[in-house]
Amino acid sequence: MSKAHDMGGRLDPRRIDITSSNVKFKADWEKEVFAITLALGFSSLWNLDRSRYARESLEPQDYLQFGYFEKWLAGLINLLGENGIIKDGKESGGNLKKSSFRILEAKNVKKLLHLGGPTKRESTKEKKFNLGDTVSVRAKNSNTRVEKGHTRLPDYVKGMAGKVIAYHGSHVFPDANAHFLGESPEALYSVEFKSQDLWDKCEHVEDTVVVDLWESYLEKFK
Amino acid sequence: MKKDNIKQFHKEFPSNPEARVKALKSILKKEGLIDQKALDEILDTYQNNVGPLNGAKIVAKAWTNKKFKVDLMNNTDQVLKDMELNGRQGEHVVVVENTETIHNLIVCTLCSCYPWPLLGLPPSWYKSDAYRSRAVREPREVLGDFNVKLPISKKVKVWDSTSEIRYLVLPQQPLSSKGLSENELVSWVTRDSMIGTGFPKPPKGE
Repeated sequence: MSKAHDMGGRLDPRRIDITSSNVKFKADWEKEVFAITLALGFSSLWNLDRSRYARESLEPQDYLQFGYFEKWLAGLINLLGENGIIKDGKESGGNLKKSSFRILEAKNVKKLLHLGGPTKRESTKEKKFNLGDTVSVRAKNSNTRVEKGHTRLPDYVKGMAGKVIAYHGSHVFPDANAHFLGESPEALYSVEFKSQDLWDKCEHVEDTVVVDLWESYLEKFK
Repeated sequence: MKKDNIKQFHKEFPSNPEARVKALKSILKKEGLIDQKALDEILDTYQNNVGPLNGAKIVAKAWTNKKFKVDLMNNTDQVLKDMELNGRQGEHVVVVENTETIHNLIVCTLCSCYPWPLLGLPPSWYKSDAYRSRAVREPREVLGDFNVKLPISKKVKVWDSTSEIRYLVLPQQPLSSKGLSENELVSWVTRDSMIGTGFPKPPKGE
């Protein structure tokens, strides 16, 4: 059974609601959540992978019931909690983490948003796979170092064979970075899977799904 | 094996989201951890400055300038940097081209990754459970919800944005728009045509 957030391929009878296609925020509080989350993302207390892990770590019923920005809000509060900034629904008062908190100033916003957070890293390690190689995704998609930890390996491709169609250089490895185990950059590939291999009933034999996968998610095809 | 669970501190806050964010904000203000002007600046950026027009300009240029298109496809990050269209959630971009035989569709099944600097913030349907679940399993049914029907001669290639690579679809230029200038073409390029859930179309009023 995949985690609540790992939705790819889940049977869902709902149609896509395209009626509110141009609404970015449904209410003012959503704008606040968006801006505060981005601002605190620059605090240096956590990284993007940690903030994704915080949202995924919400209890499944909360994850599935909360609206998009409610997930962001709850995840953010949990991050502030684990950093000792808040306690029992209030500010915790004097604490160690606050001293290393970088406050985002208005004059830096444009520059920092423009810089973003590139994840590509220089690496001297030789990559294992080449374009055109057939590879297998490993059989389990759980984090190998942290119990129930973060991973970007979707459940629906585990154990599947696909073809390497692109190599993107070495990128920060989310499974380690989300748990502050270092950036551990790894070769990142795009792997193309045949839809007919992934699903019992596929719509068209020619259709494919491409997934970006880090090297340690992959094995040589046997 | 190491454990690293995140506790559910949010349960100690009001459950109504409006009250919840108010409580959080008052704490952050009291502690001096947020600057209201910075928050305003962030919102201004994403509400007024960054949106699908950025992506549309790239597409229109690629349709009318062969050399630019080759550069864009092969050296994407540098081209976007030169045009100052890189940035948060668009640090590493891959452009995928629709052809007579391939139709590309973009999704993020694990969260809602989307090329912000090129398309702005994602529409709510892109973040919905239904889109995230169905796009990889039944893309043609999903396209049907957008009133997009593909001929059997086209293969659908779905791109699941599981890494920090962000994808932008380069749609096919409609035949009826051939001969128009780059500037005129910009208004033909819809946001959905750059996600793969729609086609470019004549601007309203034409």
